[in-house]
Amino acid sequence: MTTLGKIIAVHSYKGGTGKTLLSANLAATFVKHGKKVCLFDLDFRAPSLSTVLKIEKVECWLNEYLNGTCEIDKVLIDLSDRIQNSGKLFVGLANPSTEAMRDMSAKDRKWEMRALGRLLALRNSLLNDKGFDYLIFDTSPGLQYSSINAIVGADLVIVATTLDRSDVDGTKRMLHELYDLFEKKTDIVLNKVLHDVYSQPGKEELHVKIKDLYQAPLLGIIPCFCDVLKAEGSILFAQERPEHPFAKILDEMATKIDNMA
Amino acid sequence: MVSKQEVLGKRPLQILEKIRENLERLNDKMEVMIELQKHGRKDFQPLPETPLDVMTLLSMPDHLRKTAMTLCRLGRATAEEISQQTHRARAVESAYLNQLVIMGYLKKERKGRKAYFYIEKESQG
Repeated sequence: MTTLGKIIAVHSYKGGTGKTLLSANLAATFVKHGKKVCLFDLDFRAPSLSTVLKIEKVECWLNEYLNGTCEIDKVLIDLSDRIQNSGKLFVGLANPSTEAMRDMSAKDRKWEMRALGRLLALRNSLLNDKGFDYLIFDTSPGLQYSSINAIVGADLVIVATTLDRSDVDGTKRMLHELYDLFEKKTDIVLNKVLHDVYSQPGKEELHVKIKDLYQAPLLGIIPCFCDVLKAEGSILFAQERPEHPFAKILDEMATKIDNMA
Repeated sequence: MVSKQEVLGKRPLQILEKIRENLERLNDKMEVMIELQKHGRKDFQPLPETPLDVMTLLSMPDHLRKTAMTLCRLGRATAEEISQQTHRARAVESAYLNQLVIMGYLKKERKGRKAYFYIEKESQG
């Protein structure tokens, strides 16, 4: 079992914590660093990557791969031309039609078990055989089958959280009652932060507070950027605004992940 | 049936191998019987096949989850292979695996001297 690539699941307790924004931009950052990356939309209840990435033509949805009616090769869409530099970016999309969402929400335990098997098989087919460096799973918030499947299949779980009180409480519970139980390496990304993170003392104070609060490693802190919100989730900052502080934070996160054993 | 003479005629190493094989089988059977007794089941029928999905994994006791998760990753494995991943003794993993078989989550298949455990995925439900 010697794989060089890594599978990362981006998850959160609550919705709207920035999972999709983080997943898409982290994928783009890895590609800028020359990596071969595939980003998967595993949020079958509310798919969003097809909109965020403005993709209209899809041969096969990820839903079909998990159903066992389509090979993974047909699901992958090559978006490498959208990112400069030497890496490669592929995506696998969830079907956003109402019918598909309804169909996915009605799956039984046996189906979910087989879906887990197909997700686990991606390690072999994509990381080992096709030489991908990273697979990034963008998931549904909370305790959803598809999300837990993604967590079980991942090497690293990135939990996007805010300082919203109910989010903090829920995230703490999930750390101990979900990720820990599966013995997953879990890192926190604190998003939409309004505290002072630009001065060194302010930054350090927040670091201590977060580590105290969650008892888990902190991958990064993202301040609340009005222009990120203004972009309405349609910009890959890592690519289109490389000078933006958000892109710089992503750079640091990607480097940290690269250096993980 | 293999005659006594035929067995004794072979080299000692092979005889020892045969003894070890039989002891392992016996051990497996005893583990199953112990598990059945623990659960107070008089009939020796395993529980009906039950899907080993993530919610089931979540609700399992920690020691069994570790074994089950490792098998999920490997797909098909012997107790020895599982024990290499979990860093627990082979006999411990063997006991847990047999327990999971009795609970209906895993299937077991013998190939020669080795017992392979796997998750039945193909049955339609």
